[in-house]
Amino acid sequence: MSSMTFGQKTFTPTPPEKGSFPLDHEGRCKSSMLRYMICLQEKNNDNSQCRKEAKDYLNCRMENYLMAKEEWSKLGFSEVDVNAEESNKK
Amino acid sequence: MAAKLLNFFVTGTRKNFLKQYLIPPARNYSQRQTENSGWKQRQHRAKSTLYYVSAAGVLAVGMSYAAVPLYRIFCQAYSYGGTTGTVTDEKSIEKLQKKDRIIKVRFNADIGASMQWNFKPQQTEINVVPGETALAFYTAENPTDRPVIGISTYNVVPFEAGQYFNKIQCFCFEEQMLNPHEQVDMPVFFYIDPEFTEDPKMELVDTLTLSYTFFEARQGLKLPVPTFAKH
Repeated sequence: MSSMTFGQKTFTPTPPEKGSFPLDHEGRCKSSMLRYMICLQEKNNDNSQCRKEAKDYLNCRMENYLMAKEEWSKLGFSEVDVNAEESNKK
Repeated sequence: MAAKLLNFFVTGTRKNFLKQYLIPPARNYSQRQTENSGWKQRQHRAKSTLYYVSAAGVLAVGMSYAAVPLYRIFCQAYSYGGTTGTVTDEKSIEKLQKKDRIIKVRFNADIGASMQWNFKPQQTEINVVPGETALAFYTAENPTDRPVIGISTYNVVPFEAGQYFNKIQCFCFEEQMLNPHEQVDMPVFFYIDPEFTEDPKMELVDTLTLSYTFFEARQGLKLPVPTFAKH
């Protein structure tokens, strides 16, 4: 199907930078995921306001060995997000 | 002898035209020098022309063979036509600047014809800012009684925006197995390159659509996986 686009520009998919997420067969991070989805629904699908929940989900993955541990800055979570979360916890 | 053959093959005015190149003039001792040198000059010129033309032909054929790798290098260097360059530096994620423009990313899920999974996105859209990493979820369920292995690929529409869509981690291009009656959440962690805002072609683009398709992994199934895909 994609080989019949003669002369048209074809889309070349690229692999993800950190590879593939291992599947969460046991559903260990399902609660974090549900919290993230609820946040998205409440904030009208705005990603900027749900950074904390996204960070929680990735944290859950890292702790359950479903994701390689990375520094938050390498994943795009700046110091501002980390500090905001800590101040919220207090 | 050659003259007779030529007379047989060539007709009319062409005969006289070709004769001056092909048939050496008869040896006439009184005019030998001037006529012979004239003929030799013509023959020399004819040979030179022939050599030049055949060299041009060989050059054209050689260029058409060389163009294939050259074009590929050019496309990779300048990201022409949607090809992305080589793997981006990991540190560049740390230095991403957030822009102000809000882009809506819609999510779409498809399955192959013989695939029996239930595959759908958990959210229809997310409003993302270029330079900010975002998380999205898809859910897949295996309703059958046997384990099924799937492999997925993705697509981004509009075409030219695809080069700005960078995935940090996802579930594509690797085989994923689902046990019978199992349901899993599959996350996609991505960001849109901040250079998106500087591209004049993207000025009117406000919506991106990310579309995943799952196929059943079988022997000999070939997906358009890039050659440098990590496995």
